Amino acid sequence: MAGLNNDAQWIVMMGFVVSLSFFFLAMLLNQSTLVGQTTAESVLEFSKNDIRDVRSVIIQSDSVPDPGIVQNDITNISISRKDAVVYYYVTMPAQTGSYTNIFIHYNNGVTAYNETWISSYE
Amino acid sequence: MVDDHGQLYTIEGIAAGMIMLFTTYLVLNATSVYTPGDTHISDMQLEQIGTDALRMMNTPLNGSLSESPLQDIIEYSGNGQYGFDNASFNTMFTNYVNNRTGSAKDNLHYYATVTYYNLSSQPPTTGSLFLASNRNLKGGEHPVRVTEWVLADKTLPGDSSLWSEPQYPIPRAVLVEVLLWRD
Repeated sequence: MAGLNNDAQWIVMMGFVVSLSFFFLAMLLNQSTLVGQTTAESVLEFSKNDIRDVRSVIIQSDSVPDPGIVQNDITNISISRKDAVVYYYVTMPAQTGSYTNIFIHYNNGVTAYNETWISSYE
Repeated sequence: MVDDHGQLYTIEGIAAGMIMLFTTYLVLNATSVYTPGDTHISDMQLEQIGTDALRMMNTPLNGSLSESPLQDIIEYSGNGQYGFDNASFNTMFTNYVNNRTGSAKDNLHYYATVTYYNLSSQPPTTGSLFLASNRNLKGGEHPVRVTEWVLADKTLPGDSSLWSEPQYPIPRAVLVEVLLWRD
């Protein structure tokens, strides 16, 4: 150790440790943008409003006098304007005391949603 | 011949090497965030505003069995057989999307159409009718599309060949589509 002082090695090493911890913090910051981006993208891709909307109109259409025509409208407009395959069928109550069942299927290529809705009235 | 001289140099060398490795790692690992992608965040907000406005319009008045304002707008017959209540839609929609806290209004513009299913064309296709707008869409704008399903008793183009007398309107599902943008 020509001309080099052996004192204060501990302090120098602590300096290195602290600087390394800064690098770790920088890495966390670096990753956080990536996480924010992917989260926002997956939120955007999930078709929450479309599913709610089509579900609501299907349940509402349960009480119209000519449900076949409305079903035709919903499935065909969904394919041509919303890029989504929508399929549903209604099981009317078989006897008093049973409920209306609607099986709803929605698929837009990214998200698939299936539901069996049961009426709260008899 | 191993001795204990030059320990500090060794430690310094190792630390410097690690720092260089970390720097390379950070540089190579940094994702280039493509800036136009960030517009999705404001798009998402705009989409939510529009969807909420349409959903409010498609909700009947509190505690009543009447039809929703949007259904009434679609079923309106004062503007011809295939017409809608354009004025009411314009007033209501612009109020919902442009009102803000305070007196300054927001600058949202829209172009709304109604998509229906034409049963009598061969093969059956979807058609589109103009509903309302408060600005024409120009090339530079960046609109988002919001939609709302409406069940309405409405005579639509293509219906006349299907039902003879009486021509009462039967419930149909139509899709109200709104292009919404801010400038």
